[in-house]
Order: sequence, then C-alpha cells, then structure tokens
Amino acid sequence: MLMEVKSQIKVMFLSIKYNIMKQMTNKVTFITNILFMILNNASFILQWIILFNIKDEIGGYTFKEVILLWGMAASTFGLSHIMFYKAFHMSDLIINGKLDMFLVQPKNVLINIITSDTSVSAIGDLLYGYICLAIYGITFKNIILFSLFTITGAIVITAFVCICSSTSFWITKGEILADSLSSLVIHIATYPGGIFKDTIKVLLYTIIPVGVSSYLGVDLILAFNIKGFIYIMVFTIIITILAFLVFNKGLKKYSSSNLMSSRI
Amino acid sequence: MNVIEVKDLKKQFKVKEKEKGIKGSLKSILKPKYKEINAVNNISFEIEKGEMLAFIGPNGAGKSTTIKMLTGILYPTSGEINVMGLNPSKFRKKLAYKIGTVFGQKEQLWTHLTPYDNFKFFGAIYDLKDSEIETRIEELKKTFDLDEFINTPVRNLSLGQRIRCEIVASLIHKPDILFLDEPTIGLDPVVKQNIRKLIKKMNKELGTTIFLTSHDVGDIEKLCKRVIIINHGKMILDDLVENLKYSSKKPLEDIIAEIYEDNKLEV
Repeated sequence: MLMEVKSQIKVMFLSIKYNIMKQMTNKVTFITNILFMILNNASFILQWIILFNIKDEIGGYTFKEVILLWGMAASTFGLSHIMFYKAFHMSDLIINGKLDMFLVQPKNVLINIITSDTSVSAIGDLLYGYICLAIYGITFKNIILFSLFTITGAIVITAFVCICSSTSFWITKGEILADSLSSLVIHIATYPGGIFKDTIKVLLYTIIPVGVSSYLGVDLILAFNIKGFIYIMVFTIIITILAFLVFNKGLKKYSSSNLMSSRI
Repeated sequence: MNVIEVKDLKKQFKVKEKEKGIKGSLKSILKPKYKEINAVNNISFEIEKGEMLAFIGPNGAGKSTTIKMLTGILYPTSGEINVMGLNPSKFRKKLAYKIGTVFGQKEQLWTHLTPYDNFKFFGAIYDLKDSEIETRIEELKKTFDLDEFINTPVRNLSLGQRIRCEIVASLIHKPDILFLDEPTIGLDPVVKQNIRKLIKKMNKELGTTIFLTSHDVGDIEKLCKRVIIINHGKMILDDLVENLKYSSKKPLEDIIAEIYEDNKLEV
C-alpha cells in the first residue's frame, strides 16, 4: 500500500515536471504569461483602493486584510491550476470519451487525469499570492499557515471541481455545470466572507466550499483557533474522498469513443 | 494455456434518438427517447499464450469495444472476461502491468518530449527502477532501431517513427499480451512492412501474445494464423487464416468482404 502511494506520488510529480517542461519550450511565452498574470491580478486591487477610500471596513476586513484574502484566493487557484489543471477540463475528456489512455495505466485514473496538464499563467497566480502575503506582513507563522492553507485550499477547489465535472458521466452537458460552479468559486473567493450572511454563508462553508478554501484560512492567519483548523483539515479529507467516490462511481458509466486524439 | 477467455460477452449502449429540426430538439428535451444498441452481442472465444490473433470486422462491428472491455476501459453489460487470470473490470490496475495497448488513432506519447523521456515516464508508471528503465530502453532501442531519433521530440517524428515509439512505450514493462488496435492505420506500405516485421519479431523473441484489429488484409495475412470476424457485435467466423485463404481462389481481401456482405445482421 505504502509502495503504491509512493509510486503514485512519483508519477504525479514526474507528470507535473513534464508539463512544466512542455510549457518552457517557448521561454518568452512562458515568462510573459507569468508576468502578465501577476499584472492582471494586481489591476483588481485598484477597485479595492477606490472602495476603501469610501469605507474603512468591508465585510469586517480592512484593506490590508483584503490584500491577504486576494493572496489566498490567487495562491489556492494558482496551485490547483499548476498541479491539477486538467480537473478544470475533465468534463470534455469524459463527454468525448478521451479517458482510455489513463485507464490502461496501472495508476489511479483520477490523479493521472488531473495531473496530465498544467497552466503556466497559474505560476503567476501562485507568485502573486506570496507577493500579497509580503504586503500583508511576513512572519514565520504567516508563511507556514499561508502555505498550508494554500495546499488545503487547492485540494478543496480541485476536489470540488472534480465532483462537478464527474456529473458529466450522467449529464450530457455536465461541463456547463462544472464551468459555472468552478467560476463561481473563483469569483466569490476574492470578496470578504463577512459580506455573506445566513444561508449563503452556510452554503459557502459546505456545498460551495469557498469558505474553506479561502475565508477560513485567512481568518486563521489573522487569529488562529484550533476549531477552524480542524474544520479545514477534516473538510479537505472528506471532500477529497468524496471526489474519488463520485468519479469512480461515474467511471462505470464511461463510454469511450473512437475519435482521433493525441497527447499535446 | 489460455491467456484470454471470453464467454457470452455483451455490451449495450443507450443512445438518445432525436427527431429532425428544432421541434425534434425540443421534444428530445421534454420527452427523451432512447434506443439500446448491442455493440457486442454474446461473443465467446479463447486465445492461447503466444498466439497472434486477427480480430476483424467492418466499421462499427464492435472490435474496439471488445478490446476496451478486455483491457478494463469499458465495463461489460454481461458475460465473463478472463485476461491473464484476471477480471479486467475488477482488477484493471493489476491487469495493466501484464498487458500493453497501442491504439493507432490515439497517441499515448507526450508529443513535446523525446521518445527517451517518454519511455522514462512510462517506465515510472509501471514502477520500474531507474536502472531497469535504462536497461530496457537500451534493449528496445536495439530491437526497434530507435537510435536515429530517440532524442528527437515526438512531434517532429514521422508517423511511422511515432507508431514504432508507441509500440516500444507499450512494451517497456514486458507485457504478456499486446493489444493493437489498427496499428498500421495511415502508414505507407514500406513503414507498414517494417511495423509488421517488428510485431512478428516481438512475438517470436518475447513470446508476446498479439491481439490485433486491422482493416488491412496485409496485416492479417502476414502476421496472424487465426482470424475472428465480427459484424454488428456478433461473431461470424473463427478460423485459421490459411483455411480462409484456400476456401476460394479469390484474394483474401475479397473473401473477407464477401463474408461482411453475407452477414449483414440486424441489430
């Protein structure tokens, strides 16, 4: 069992390494993609500067805390798109019957699929996250917690997207649901959690887990509490297991195709 | 010893039926109609270790669906499959260590990487140690004459060289059975000839069982001793290629075409 996990992790990182090597084929595009993503993210801060000129606090957050929230949203999104980019395009593979290549390999199909591609601009998102952390204030504790919640956040987002994408095994247009929900998660993650109340707040900490991938992590960096920490950890494990269960259940419904395809 | 045993294998697909035009589209949303298609319909056969079998049939006959069930890609609707003593639906990962697959229409290689890097990746997938991978690459490089292009990115290779590399990648873990789904599709006669030689060599030197689907009669004639023909998911012939060849004075291609014509079975 331990050997199997070790081997799966080795293949996963080899796959990510090869994906990045592919992206580095064109050095200029590689570097400009990263830089422009950092610039693109930075441009959104302007709207917050304007808003904080009108109000001192929004949803319980000051400007500095919103910067930290942006950093967390960018780094979780970035890490999930570097490591598990294909999770965000898995519906297409399912609908068009392109999973054969992964099914004939002696490894976990879901992990093999989601690590089979990477987004180079997401490196810019991840770097931007740490730039935001630097603006907020770097301490040893902040770096450790920020990095840990970036990892759990990336896993939560990826697992959530995998569950949404897996609906494509049952629904023909499952990719619309997957695209809409993954966009929703990404957009909501950049607004202070305090602006959402009651039912919506409950939803964001359960069914649409932006609260777990972003808000709670930021709250714990601002003021650590063990209850919140345990909630993030347990939620991450549960949603990951759920993603594997739903995908494996759907896989039994998989219809392959004879479309010409290649790994590019 | 049988390495593949198939009994009463069946695969049904549910296909949505839609009437023409916008009215038909609306109707299909409100009241969808489905029909069941038997892609593979109660087929049974056995294959012995080291055998080279041609599994042929017209387009849509159920060849690829059968291969996909034998390799664990698709779940059968009913029936039994035993490949190397394993049920592919239940032990897909375990079986993957014992089989190799080449789909002529689907590339498994990373096109931006060199064949060498690809083989290293595939070696890691099959849990081979780095030293084992190196030795295996050396062996296969010699057998398959890859020296000239082993360090050229796959995207820059010719189709023939690519297929050769696809076959090598599927052999990195020394599989007992190799499933080849139209491996010579789109290749020129000279390259086809080379690929056939390599498949034959592999079967002879490594004792690999070959399960081949192809529309090319040359592949069947030059490689296989036994042929199974399926049409509309049903098995219509299981015989030696030799018997088929001498059943009539016509060329093998015409004999096969006649069998296809005579067996236009209703689904």
